[in-house]
Amino acid sequence: MKPASGKNRLGSIRKRPAWAGLAIHVALVVLSALFLAPLLWMTATSLKPEYEIMGAGARLLPSKIVWSNYPKAFSYGSQDLGYIPFLAYGKNTLVVTILAVIGSVISNSLAAYSFARLKWPGRDLFFAITLATMMVPYPVLMVPTYSLFKWLGWIGTFRPLWVPCYFGSAFSIFLLRQFFKRIPQELSEAAKIDGASEFRIYLDVVLPLAKPAMIVIALFTFMWAWNDFMGPLLYLTDQNTFTLSMGLQFFQSQHTGVSWNLLMAASLIVILPVLLVFFLAQRVFIEGIATTGIKG
Amino acid sequence: MTHSKTIGAAALAVLFASSVVISERTASRQTRSDRIVVTYWEKWTKDEMKAMKTIVDRYNASQSRVFVKMLSISGIAEKTLLAASGGNPPDVAGLWSDQVCQFGDANALVDLTPYAKRYGIKPSDYIPSYWKDLIHKGKLYALPTSPGSSALYVNQDLMPPEYNTPKKFPKTLSQLDRLVETVTVKKNGKIERLAFMPRSGFGGGSWPYLFGGALVRGDKITVNDRDNVRAWTWVTSFAKRFGMAETQQFQSTFGVTSSQDNPFIAKRLACIMEGPWFANFIRLYGHETKWFAVPMPYPDDRPDCAGYTVLNLNTLMIPRGAKHPDEAFDFIAFVQKQNNMELLCRLQYCNTPLSRVSEEFLANHPNPYIRVFDALARSPRAVGRERTGFLNQIQAEVSNAVDQMDLGQKTPQEALDDAQRRLEEGWQKYQKQVLGT
Amino acid sequence: MKRHAAMVGWLFALPWVIGSLLFLAYPLLASIFYSFTNYSVLRSPRFIGLDNYRELVHDEVFLTTLKNTALYTISAVPLATVIAIALAMLLNTKVKGMTVYRTIFFLPSLVPMIALGVLWLWVFNSQNGLLNESLRWLGLPTPNWLDDPTVARWTLVIISMWGCGNAMIIYLAALQDVPTALYEAADLDGASSWLKTRHVTLPMISPVILFNAIMGFIGAMQTFALPYVMFPGGRPARSNYFFAMYLYDNAFLFQRMGYASAMGWIMFVVTLILTLMSLKVSSKFVHYEAS
Repeated sequence: MKPASGKNRLGSIRKRPAWAGLAIHVALVVLSALFLAPLLWMTATSLKPEYEIMGAGARLLPSKIVWSNYPKAFSYGSQDLGYIPFLAYGKNTLVVTILAVIGSVISNSLAAYSFARLKWPGRDLFFAITLATMMVPYPVLMVPTYSLFKWLGWIGTFRPLWVPCYFGSAFSIFLLRQFFKRIPQELSEAAKIDGASEFRIYLDVVLPLAKPAMIVIALFTFMWAWNDFMGPLLYLTDQNTFTLSMGLQFFQSQHTGVSWNLLMAASLIVILPVLLVFFLAQRVFIEGIATTGIKG
Repeated sequence: MTHSKTIGAAALAVLFASSVVISERTASRQTRSDRIVVTYWEKWTKDEMKAMKTIVDRYNASQSRVFVKMLSISGIAEKTLLAASGGNPPDVAGLWSDQVCQFGDANALVDLTPYAKRYGIKPSDYIPSYWKDLIHKGKLYALPTSPGSSALYVNQDLMPPEYNTPKKFPKTLSQLDRLVETVTVKKNGKIERLAFMPRSGFGGGSWPYLFGGALVRGDKITVNDRDNVRAWTWVTSFAKRFGMAETQQFQSTFGVTSSQDNPFIAKRLACIMEGPWFANFIRLYGHETKWFAVPMPYPDDRPDCAGYTVLNLNTLMIPRGAKHPDEAFDFIAFVQKQNNMELLCRLQYCNTPLSRVSEEFLANHPNPYIRVFDALARSPRAVGRERTGFLNQIQAEVSNAVDQMDLGQKTPQEALDDAQRRLEEGWQKYQKQVLGT
Repeated sequence: MKRHAAMVGWLFALPWVIGSLLFLAYPLLASIFYSFTNYSVLRSPRFIGLDNYRELVHDEVFLTTLKNTALYTISAVPLATVIAIALAMLLNTKVKGMTVYRTIFFLPSLVPMIALGVLWLWVFNSQNGLLNESLRWLGLPTPNWLDDPTVARWTLVIISMWGCGNAMIIYLAALQDVPTALYEAADLDGASSWLKTRHVTLPMISPVILFNAIMGFIGAMQTFALPYVMFPGGRPARSNYFFAMYLYDNAFLFQRMGYASAMGWIMFVVTLILTLMSLKVSSKFVHYEAS
């Protein structure tokens, strides 16, 4: 029995009343406008000529569209200021992000599987501790964490940014555990009767069924690693190694103003890859549903 | 099914391996072997960074022993703090004079006194008010880069004819008051333009010093001193005069400083207290503005307070634990040379911290009124930072007190008494805990 | 047999166990230790026992930040939860262009923090900001969002609703998993949309609601980055001074890392207690398996 996908949501027996369809459309359009408005401002700002950004009664739309803001933002500062062009920052960010996502998907699913589907002494206590670690505010941990990485000799490298991802994170473990628990125990037991090892069950039964959740974890890790600012700020010490989020800082300054248009253009460029990943992830969401089959 | 899984796993492994290789290669491409590398962390970006880069390039080209590698860092104070505590500080840190007392108290800076002696750098080389901010407990902890002072920018077109040149502009607060009356524009109960709002601009928290007050005197917190209360009463009198609600409404129309929404550029404020770099903002965002700069008027009964200005100072420091302090100071000394310093300050639209200033610097400076800023920086009434490591707490409490006064939640006396009480407790603790006294 | 099962359990959890011991244990233990010391980061810590905790209890500023954080959490978390669920349900319907809509609602949570700060300062500008312009056009009152202490805190609540894209995606994933059979059975019984939502949808995604509620709660308690950029010092008049900001200021501006650590651990205990309480209460409402 195929699980619910969008098309059967509002009932397959009765047809959806016409007014419901219209209401949904209206709601979507209105809400979209609300959610998009600030971003439209960002886009409009990114296309404005220099120094026309804000001002009493500033037009929302640019007086003339300056497409060249985008290539300018991309190579900002490399000529006179010695900043490394965005492409290099993008490479650094991409590499760290890929490493983070791979590690996150593997380690978190393993741990979540253990908490959700296996019984072992101390499991619930350890899970509670896992949750608890999320409740300690980060600034409190900053100094000892820095010392730890200094002791490991990792300051100035990318390692503090991705190696910890191979050892799990409380947030992802918690999320995956909630999803893993929803898969019926009978499926595991049936596989066990067939002689499958626990790892086989994990790989062939549970993971495929929890695909949406796994996609979500991959997506979130991607987003988090891509946009991470504190990590690179603290642990990177060479301009060559900087990431995109640090590159965005260079558009503002103490006493020489902020290049709002370039900053917005650069921010939008930075958003694009994640957007792309989200788009692709969505499709797998839907496809994933079509190929899995939960017995009803 | 399993076949595609194996391919998937293999692809993942390849992706992993190549990413690791790329990241490690990028991170290790950092060292030079031919010269001693001095790491220099600086807060600047954009044009300010460009200015400093010119000096750094000059230094690197002028000798072949040391290579200064400059890094533009945001959140530089926190990052330097963390790096220093982790035993990994940069060789040169471009902080502010604010950090001199704080880091000095914590024994986190290298004492530059012996270096200065060796290089022949004397106090008389610098403007006394700036030099004061570099010393803490008898030790020299920093040397300057670009400084700042504050003067009143006046929009010439918005001035009535009796006030529209620097010579004719009010010299005392009572004269300023009369100006305020004439220049205020109110339509339908909404304020459209004010002559002056003390809270706007640069140095908007240091008004007590205009009236001869001080937040700290020696070892004591004096936040609720009589002169301070008088100063803040004067500040809040502006809001009271025009109506609390109307003033708040008016102030909320002030946009970001670096944009056309800046109240001075948008012609909402006819006068604003700002630093020398503000001329650059006017050039960028409101170049048709006709303006001049004058010293801030002084209270009628305190002519000794004439020449009031608020100073800020960018500095170079050597954190304790730096790997190459000698080479670091060699670079710092290079920056202090008059030709280099003046180039840096000119490119950054600032005045100079040196006592000697060339006529060429003053004449060719992009800010046409630079002489006003220069003269003010040399005045005995120039106000630097409070000389204490407890600085940040004081600023936080005073800022909160001022907010409360602004909103009419408390009178200046009440708000300052509150702040004084909390600060005294905090100061006791600071002395015990941080200073160990 | 049991021992084997136990070993397997530990084996799967091993990366996390090692990771938490390696990367979390030392910082956590160190910060507990710091909370009993004077520690100015640049000098070595000195033991002072419970003094930090004693001082915290009387610290007016700390209590103010607690109040602000509590108010924000109580309003933002339920609101964002309801909106995220409603949006996810909306986005789970079969409508043309659904992929585009989903992306639109998710987009806000992707904007880099540096752009967000400036963006919202413009939106909430009382003169020509987007929000007040719209309110003015609709003839509604236009409060002074950024400078009036009575309304300033609500700007952050509004922003959190706008940024609920993350939670929404998680709900979407959960909704996809609800078996159609249940809906069909409900239809056979003649159930209305509302009843179906109440008796099928919500229970089926309840584990995920629990997750998002707890994560939202923890996140709200630790709100830091946006108010730090938009409202320096917690202005106006400390109405936007959140406890994480005060903690940060103590750690890095006031040279009181020990005091900040104590603060962090007090908030940890508070968060822990409230979370445990909600876990207990939730066991009545959360259903794990399709039943």
